Amino acid sequence: MKVKVVTRILEANERIAADNRRIFDDSGVYVINLMSAPGAGKTSLLERTIKELNKKLKVAVIEGDIAGTQDAERIGNLGVPVIQINTGGACHLDANMINEVLGELPLKEIELLFIENVGNLVCPAEFNVGEDMKVMLLSITEGDDKPLKYPLMFQESSALILNKIDLLQHTNVSIDKIKKDAMSLSPSIKIFEVSCRTGEGISEWTDWLVKKVK
Amino acid sequence: MHEASIAQSVLDIAGENCKKAGYSRIDSIRLRIGRASGVMTDALLFAFDALKADTIAAGATVIIDEIPVGGLCNSCGKDFLTDEAYILCCPECGGLSFKVNTGRELEILDMEVS
Repeated sequence: MKVKVVTRILEANERIAADNRRIFDDSGVYVINLMSAPGAGKTSLLERTIKELNKKLKVAVIEGDIAGTQDAERIGNLGVPVIQINTGGACHLDANMINEVLGELPLKEIELLFIENVGNLVCPAEFNVGEDMKVMLLSITEGDDKPLKYPLMFQESSALILNKIDLLQHTNVSIDKIKKDAMSLSPSIKIFEVSCRTGEGISEWTDWLVKKVK
Repeated sequence: MHEASIAQSVLDIAGENCKKAGYSRIDSIRLRIGRASGVMTDALLFAFDALKADTIAAGATVIIDEIPVGGLCNSCGKDFLTDEAYILCCPECGGLSFKVNTGRELEILDMEVS
């Protein structure tokens, strides 16, 4: 006997992601899922971004890491609400992990929520958590071959931030190649060049964010 | 990527549907998996066989329909299909503006139960 099923295999995650999205929308929170490889500078970018957005937007952060609370402590020092999720081995955040901590955030008082995903260029791109957009951070020292090696991450992202631009002169990396390959994977992707060490380029990124959120 | 958790989801969804329809055994499950879904079918089949023991799908086989990447090119206006998992330009004309419509599927189509 044949039984029709026709169900998406990751439907459970999609359903919870949709619930999260409804909660965010009801509270007027814009949500960014920030993804990158380990060490690309996600937490440094958030530190710079939060300082720059001070008084322009009310920001909060959910930190996803396999273990440890260092990132949450760094963000907490800036005086914004922060929640640390330890995945205990899982290589990405999923919608349910986010759903479980939403009650701990003062959502009504937040305008922009960053969800810093686990450092990984593969798995986070597969799991929606209820975000308005995915943003990818690539440090140029990772190499200009990354868009073509990890295409899904680039295809899924609305913006690409190239970090460590101050180190360009010490590398053989072609920024043009990264941009060209990223744009062929995602023609509408918005690209920023920044240095979280010097602060170069951060205001272009935060100006764009403010327009998106407001 | 997450073949083991995907295999577990397949077992959960299929088991639920089987019970709901009033049957007690799953003989086979047919999946549609796009080539650009990121799933390694060998790893999925291996994980499924490891996880199915002591479930109502213990004797079940998995049949996988692989779906190629296909879409519509905005430059030449043609529908295309390709053997590649990822494309950077239209396989027909090389145009850079196109929409991918198939190849990301990850779903259970149907199953044989008794």
